[in-house]
Order: sequence, then C-alpha cells, then structure tokens
Amino acid sequence: MSGVLRRCAFRLAGTRSLATTATDITPRLKTFKIYRWNPDKPAEKPRLQEYQVNLNDCGPMVLDALLKIKNEQDATLTFRRSCREGICGSCAMNIGGRNTLACLCKIEPDISKQTKIYPLPHMYIVKDLVPDLTNFYKQYKSIQPYLQRSKVPEDGKENLQSIADRKKLDGLYECILCACCSTSCPSYWWNQEEYLGPAVLMQAYRWLIDSRDEASKIRKEMLQNSMSLYRCHTIMNCTRTCPKGLNPGKAIAEIKKALATD
Amino acid sequence: MFKASFHSSVLKSSSTIRLTTGLRGISLKPDFNKLKLIPPPPGGVNGTVNDKLKTPNPDFFHGSYHWDYERITAISLIPLTMIPLYAALSNGTMYPMVDASLCSVLLIHAQLGFTSCIIDYIPKRKFGVWHTLAMSTLYLGSALGLYGVYELETSNNGLVDLISKLWKDDESNVYVFGGR
Repeated sequence: MSGVLRRCAFRLAGTRSLATTATDITPRLKTFKIYRWNPDKPAEKPRLQEYQVNLNDCGPMVLDALLKIKNEQDATLTFRRSCREGICGSCAMNIGGRNTLACLCKIEPDISKQTKIYPLPHMYIVKDLVPDLTNFYKQYKSIQPYLQRSKVPEDGKENLQSIADRKKLDGLYECILCACCSTSCPSYWWNQEEYLGPAVLMQAYRWLIDSRDEASKIRKEMLQNSMSLYRCHTIMNCTRTCPKGLNPGKAIAEIKKALATD
Repeated sequence: MFKASFHSSVLKSSSTIRLTTGLRGISLKPDFNKLKLIPPPPGGVNGTVNDKLKTPNPDFFHGSYHWDYERITAISLIPLTMIPLYAALSNGTMYPMVDASLCSVLLIHAQLGFTSCIIDYIPKRKFGVWHTLAMSTLYLGSALGLYGVYELETSNNGLVDLISKLWKDDESNVYVFGGR
C-alpha cells in the first residue's frame, strides 16, 4: 500500500516538475533570412525574406528549420531535399556564407545572430534555393563515369581487384555530387562553361586510378587542354567546403601529377 | 533566359538578312559587332540537356606542357635569385651568364603566368577578339622584354646591377682628389 502511494506521489511530483519546466520555457526565436526569387515574376529583383523559427520545437539542423518554415509559415518557399541525412546531396545551399548541406548543418544556437541562406553561388537559379545543375551533370557525363574494359572475366563474375587497389578509391567514391565544392571555386565561377570543376575532376581521378579500368589513356587525353583541368589554381575552397570531408583539391593535384609526365 | 535566347535569335536572323541582301559588300563601315562580348547560351547550356559537355581536342602545349614549364621556371628561379642575393650580401662577383639566365627565366615565368591570367579573366569563349588582343599584347610585351634583356646584358651591366643601383648612390661624378 505504502509502496503504491509512494509511487503515486513520485509520479505526481515527476509530472508536476515536467509541467513547470514546460511553461517556464520562453520561445527562442531565431531569425532566418532566405533568398527568394520567383521565375513567374522575373522583373522582380531577388530579395532576402525574414522568417522566425522557435528553436524549442524545431529539429537541430537547418533543413528542419526550412521544413518548419515551409510547413507552418510560407508554403511557397522552394528548395530541394530528399534523404535528410547527407546521402543524396539535394539540399546543397549556401548557409552563413559556406556551401554545405542543409541537413548536415546545425542551426547556430545564438539567437541574437541571424542566419542567411542563399542558393549555391554563381549558378543559374530555377527558383528560390534551387540552382540549375544541368551544366554540372553534363560535365559529369563528359568524363565518362563508368568502367571501360576490353573484355570481361570469362567466368561471368565480377572484375576482381586487390585490397590495396580498392583502398585507392577511398575518399573518392563517397562523393555525392552535391556541387558544394564546384560552386565554391572562383575558377569555376568565371569559367564554368569550360572548366570541369573540383567535383567532376575528382570523379575523373576516381576512374583514372581504378585498377579495373583500361581507358586511362583516353581519360587523360580528355583533360589535356587549357580549360578542362588547368583552370585549377589550387585555391582549395573545394576541400574547405566539402560537407562530406573529402579532398577534391588533392585529387586534382594527383591528376596534374599523372599528366605532368605524360 | 527565355528573353535572351529570343533576342539573340532575332539578332542572328537580321544579320543573315543583311548578308543576303549584300548591303555589307558596298559598306565601308567596319563591322563593330565582333567587338561585342559574346553572351553565354541560355542557362549556360549548349545543346540539349542530355548531351555531354563537348570535350576540347587534346592540346598538350596548352595542357600539361604549359603546367610543366610553369613549375620548371618557378623552381629554377629559386637558386637563380638566391645566387645574386648571396653575391650582393657578401660583396662577391656576379656572373653575367647567371644574370642572363635569371632575366630570361623570369621573363618566361611572367609570360606563362600572364597567359594563365588572360585565360582566366579574358576567356576566348566570352571575349572573342579581346582575348586575341590581350594575348598579342602579351607576346608583344614579352618580345620587348627580351630585347630589353639583350640590351641589359650586352651594353649594360645586367639586371642584378640595375636593381642593386637602387640602394647605391650614383658615383659617376663623384669628386675624387680634384682629378679629372
């Protein structure tokens, strides 16, 4: 009997303490300034629109805040998102001056500071935070990102590779082609019609060093011109911004090294 | 984007009409159209969305060779500047051949570096004739520089001496014991 009473009292005290903390919490309103541009009204200049989000009932990432704004405040806000865990690369955007994935970027907890969100810099914009990545994908297609061999194994099974050879692909195959690095590169800003950019060049290197691939001569020759590869001036913004922690700058340097003695 | 493509297509058709009517043939007015900057294609995309980007023809001299020469000149400039520096500080002798090679390597290095700058900021894709103009100005400047190096090495005392004169007073008409 006393045990039941004690449990009841405990539960009562527990709920009461929870209730008091819930009412005590003041809303923490964080201001987001988000780039808006509507293609239906092309004469209107792009502008920054201000939204306030209560951080107490919002997830920790910038993507959570964006979804909350879209659900509760402004359904016209447009952005790409899919996996919400940094695997798809859809939500790449410029947050607080840095290209990153909205789903991997924590909201700055200091509510006295605003967070500015822009689309990826120096790209054609489809709407709001959605950049046009057509040219980026065309560039990726141009480096022939697939295995090329003269013949396949006779037993009809997979092309085998040693553990050491497989290790060479680590740090390259993880790239999700979110275009954060390419659009952070000043060289890519000035010459993106011809310069391939760090993301695509890193994939070019990934196929160049694959021990199963036999087309490395053609792959190298494709880069032998002034624009495709050699517009890289080792600025290293790509490595600095990569939300997956990869190193496109090093991959490009390795390509240059391989081409130097060609 | 749409507007721009429409505009360019109108421009194109008007220029073809002008050509077919033969008005240009008797006109003495120079064609200023080629001085205009070339606008990018709509959305920065050439061809259809599913085409791959066109790969330029392999060109080793503008590819890896250019990069190699850049590195070779940059690295060889390190000893070529250290030797005169050492000579100047220790009051040693400066050999004319070292001076001449310093001048020429420096000139080649500057030429290669400026070429990169021009390709970066005045690309042919956008600037057309202005790119050609910039490149020919650079070649002209380099040729002039080469002539300057020749003058400096044959009838003067070389680049290192020229620079070290900045720290020395002119001694050509110093009064020495009333001599003359």
